[in-house]
Amino acid sequence: MGSVSRRAFMSALALAAMAAAGPAPAQDVKGKLVLYTSQPERDAAQTVAAFRKAHPGVDVEVFRSGTTEVMGKLAAEFAGGQPKPDVLLIADAASMEALKNDGRLQPYPEAKVDGLAPGSFDPGKTYFGSKLITTGIAVNTAAKSRPASWADLAKPEYKGQIAMPSPLYSGAAAIMLGTMTTRPDLGWSFFEKLKADDAVAVRGNGAVLTAVASGEKAYGVLVDFMAFNAKAKGSPIDFVFPAEGLPAVTEPVAMLKTAQNPAAARAFVDFILSDEGQKLASSMGYIPARASVGMPSWYPAGAKINLMPTDIAKVVQSNSDNLKRFAELFGK
Amino acid sequence: MGSKTATSLTPESTADDKSITSRTSTLLRLVALTPKLFEDYALLTWLVGVVAVLSLLPLARLVAEGIAPGGTLSTDAIARVLASPTTWTATGHSLLTAFGGTLLAVLVGTAVALCVGLTDIRGRNAVVFCFVMPLLIAPQVVALAWLQSFGPSSPLLKMLGAAPAMGSRNPLYSAGGIILVLGVQYAPLVFLTLRAALRTLPQELIEAALAGGAPPRRVLRTIVLPLMTPPLLAGIALSFVSCLGNFGIPALLGIPGNYVVLPTLIYQRLAGLGPGVLSEVAVLSMLIGAIAVLGIVAQESMLRRRDFRISAATIAARPFELRRLRLPTEVALWTLIGIVLVLPLCALVLTSLVPAVGVSLSAATATLDNFRFVLFDHAAARRAFVNSFGLSATAAVVIVAFAIPLAYFLVWRRSRLLRAVNLVTEIPYAVPGVVLAIAAILLFLKPLPLVGVTLYNTVWIILFCYLARFLVLGLRPVVAGYHQLDRTLEEASQIAGARLPRRLRTVIVPLVAPTAAAGALLIFLTAFNELTLSALLWSSGSETLGVVFFSFQQGGDSTYAAALGVLTVIVSVALMLSTLLVAKRLPPGVLPWRD
Amino acid sequence: MARLTIDHLVKRYGEFRALDDVSLTVDDGEFVAILGPSGCGKTTLLRQIAGFDKPDAGSVRIGDAVVSTPGQHVPPERRRIGIVFQSYALWPHMTVAENVGYGLDVAGVKDPERRQRVNAALALVELEGFADRRPALLSGGQRQRVALARCLVTEPSLVLLDEPLANLDVHLRAAMEREFARFHERTGTTMVYITHDQAEAMALADRIAVMDRGRILQLATPSVLYREPADDTVARFIGEGMVVPVAGVARDGDATCTADVFGHRVRMRCDAGARIGGEAHACLRDNALRVVNGATPGVRATITSIVYQGGRFRLDAAPERAPGVPLHFGVAEPCSLRPGDSVTLAIDDGWVLPGWVTRASGR
Repeated sequence: MGSVSRRAFMSALALAAMAAAGPAPAQDVKGKLVLYTSQPERDAAQTVAAFRKAHPGVDVEVFRSGTTEVMGKLAAEFAGGQPKPDVLLIADAASMEALKNDGRLQPYPEAKVDGLAPGSFDPGKTYFGSKLITTGIAVNTAAKSRPASWADLAKPEYKGQIAMPSPLYSGAAAIMLGTMTTRPDLGWSFFEKLKADDAVAVRGNGAVLTAVASGEKAYGVLVDFMAFNAKAKGSPIDFVFPAEGLPAVTEPVAMLKTAQNPAAARAFVDFILSDEGQKLASSMGYIPARASVGMPSWYPAGAKINLMPTDIAKVVQSNSDNLKRFAELFGK
Repeated sequence: MGSKTATSLTPESTADDKSITSRTSTLLRLVALTPKLFEDYALLTWLVGVVAVLSLLPLARLVAEGIAPGGTLSTDAIARVLASPTTWTATGHSLLTAFGGTLLAVLVGTAVALCVGLTDIRGRNAVVFCFVMPLLIAPQVVALAWLQSFGPSSPLLKMLGAAPAMGSRNPLYSAGGIILVLGVQYAPLVFLTLRAALRTLPQELIEAALAGGAPPRRVLRTIVLPLMTPPLLAGIALSFVSCLGNFGIPALLGIPGNYVVLPTLIYQRLAGLGPGVLSEVAVLSMLIGAIAVLGIVAQESMLRRRDFRISAATIAARPFELRRLRLPTEVALWTLIGIVLVLPLCALVLTSLVPAVGVSLSAATATLDNFRFVLFDHAAARRAFVNSFGLSATAAVVIVAFAIPLAYFLVWRRSRLLRAVNLVTEIPYAVPGVVLAIAAILLFLKPLPLVGVTLYNTVWIILFCYLARFLVLGLRPVVAGYHQLDRTLEEASQIAGARLPRRLRTVIVPLVAPTAAAGALLIFLTAFNELTLSALLWSSGSETLGVVFFSFQQGGDSTYAAALGVLTVIVSVALMLSTLLVAKRLPPGVLPWRD
Repeated sequence: MARLTIDHLVKRYGEFRALDDVSLTVDDGEFVAILGPSGCGKTTLLRQIAGFDKPDAGSVRIGDAVVSTPGQHVPPERRRIGIVFQSYALWPHMTVAENVGYGLDVAGVKDPERRQRVNAALALVELEGFADRRPALLSGGQRQRVALARCLVTEPSLVLLDEPLANLDVHLRAAMEREFARFHERTGTTMVYITHDQAEAMALADRIAVMDRGRILQLATPSVLYREPADDTVARFIGEGMVVPVAGVARDGDATCTADVFGHRVRMRCDAGARIGGEAHACLRDNALRVVNGATPGVRATITSIVYQGGRFRLDAAPERAPGVPLHFGVAEPCSLRPGDSVTLAIDDGWVLPGWVTRASGR
């Protein structure tokens, strides 16, 4: 054989080998990845399982709890001087912003943010929203009337029938508070009217779902996926998209500067932002950050949901004042 | 030691007396040279050391965080916390609910203990069994069940036609509601502490009073209750501290009306972002700890002034015949059990059988899918059963084994150091679980100094926290048991030549066994469902039942949570029933539901 | 057997001196009773001897070995003594045989010797056949005997008894007294017997130490205590003696003197070496008082009470000269006297209490 043909043969062989090996595997990421997340249990399990399928060499250790518990544990680890997690996936961009301000997050400039909803990721590329979770009005199917907007909810005829998550105990609700109080059409007067309506601020969205689905309260301020997942299983609950729009929180993922396995961490962020990861989010009932992969099944076909824009930095700044004012308003 | 003299009891051996006398005196002379009480002090030092590690170390670390965050001494956090009016509002609320809850718990628990222990009601063992079971159901579940029972969707009220209109404010969202549920939750605590002690009440003391013409109420007031003061005070102290540190109930019933108590305030701080959050949490925890310690000091001073010893070798008393009052009393007891056990249990079962929250239960909608999911599809739930059982059982056994010699020194070898030790054990129980967890994280984040082993994110850090937190649950009943012992029983065995380890084993342990078992049971039941500690400390593979339950609840999967709750109750009941199989080999009084 | 030596023992509780410089020697094989009213310190003393408490000053020696000083302390489990507690302290969760054999278990004695010795001890207290009973089912007297058997089975060199008969009824007491006496006779064990009942002490003890307020007032044989009490307290405590003021005491022999009792001159005994004269106190026994007819010189007194005691009467009387100093004496049945009657009493004997400062000599 001539040298040319040998070269050609070798490259053909190489090409064949690569083709036989299937689609090019991601860089062989190995080792242990520690993830702290506040996703619901099943969603966390599914996410991790899907990631492991894509990267079988990585052993994922998950700590899953409420956002407050996760942040508390993280704060203790920071104070102790040995933070454990490589990546965080929590439902609270405000907490992420605070971490960023503390210099705890590792920027990832190469992250593929194309197609992601604007404003869902940090301009400095430290954290990236994995999905969009909107908050709307949940209605028990036995309720007499259905509000069509936030302003409707504040009407006196809904007195004593409203439950909402308390911003004092839920970061996502705090963001919602920060977002809505800056709007001219809602502002603090909206909350004052809610208070006049004897709205009850319970601890977290889970409690709102229980209250509305069981009929304890007819209406609730609730996140979309919870309402729809319950409805799919047969709960007597409906979800209304208020006319003014829905405040949305992203569920950001981020890498810590102190990550022990930065390669795996990057792979995880990539996975979350990839089409595969985004499709997974959609299949779990969330609005994906990259709209092109397709909406979840409950999303009204062809419609465009009106999202309220959120200036996360501003929310973080005014947070403690907002909380104080809310506490005074709704307290004894 | 143990030299056998050949002296028999007859005078014929007087010839040998002189040499035996000199042998004995030589022996005594040698013995007198031994350093005094060497082994007793060694044991005591070891016990105190363990308490220091379990109780003091985590909190010292936390206090350090409060006054010197990041290593630099600063009173900022203290100033901020103490200056904020919310702190004092929360403190006032905490005290109110703690006192109110304790009062209710003591009234109910004592009444049931007296009925079961001193009267001739029928079905006594069943009453005990059922009254203790609510401890198995997580406080949040109990609170939720009550909440729903008083609300517009309550099936019970709907049946009675008394359901409030949709939209009326639920009366449980108030201080009164919190007190009510706290009292009901902790009545079994007081009950268990009293029940073991009531067995030691000699029949003759009560019969003497009854024969003297005293009406039963007077006998109760002047004889039974005063004699039961140590266990009563122990029960009061336990329930006070439990109410003070409880998070789940005021979280559910207080948050909606913004009725803040110290544990929920701590949680608020944690959720609120902002710098220095840990040091503020530390300061607030010190506040709770201080209140708890004050309560215990008060209890101690009441115990110290009087003598409660019962030299009992008599059969347990059952002297009060109720006659006409018997049926009404039994009805009242079972109604009470219906409210505190059946109500939440029914709510739990109903929720576990529907496919989703809010679907009304009917033949068509009933499903076992939730159970199937929890048992077969959710590996974490299965692991959680094993983990929770192992951790709770280990904690119960280890703590009680430790509490018995510790209580020996606390009650019978008083000293200032021991009094301080007694107070210190209360603190890890009084502070909210999340605080203790944070303290443990701070302590065990890095590998242990000499051994190089990391406890963090393993099941062992959870065990450490259980030991620290529930030590007091085992210690209080045992201390009360010692207070009722006649010390001459120990002195007699001392005179017979037995040293401390043998005395503990052969004389003391059998006599305090009932109260020790009450403590062990209390620990097991409380730890089995425990949530706030493991919520921060668990990691893959070391889930506990509380953690799994909590994540189901938070994620809106109340039906899975309910199924898990029902399974927990079934498993615990099975365990409790299985103890009846070995009951014959245990000393009397160890199992509260067996005479 | 061992000799017990207590040397200037002091025990304080705060300001209160429970034992105030107590010294006592019990010889090998002696039976000493420690007698005193409640609160006199006898139980405190017993606890010091046993080793349950430590002294503030002084020492306790058993045999030649020092077992208790403020700086040194042999714990009770190493002193090889036996105690019979007032409440018997039987372990309720053990049978009689297990209770009695406990000390043998500790010493490592195994069956069959263990069983033999337990049965021997039970036989000694006449409780054979009770080996498998539980203490809860025994009577007071039986429990008492089990406690004694338990104490004896380890053959201790010194036995302490803490008011062992206090909880028994009268008939049982007499039987148990005989039991203790017989036991002491047979074994010659050194015994220290704590009691507040002077009749018991007198019946059983070789010597008696009378204690009051932390001090030993007198240590002597029962006879000496009865006939020659050292002070007022001892006189009153033993045999219910009457302490009366006397005047004009004058020696009229080696060990006798005369004195004025309520105006009546009486011959009494007195301490041979003591300086006496002038005023003093004397101890009268009820068997030294006798009713005489009105003409005979004597002490005039008014009867205040008459109590029948089976075959005889006990009469209490108040002397006319000093109604505040009561006298009592016995009269055989039948007695025709009534309360309020006036009688004349002859005093045949008395004992001038030593330790009285004579005003005349003004020391």
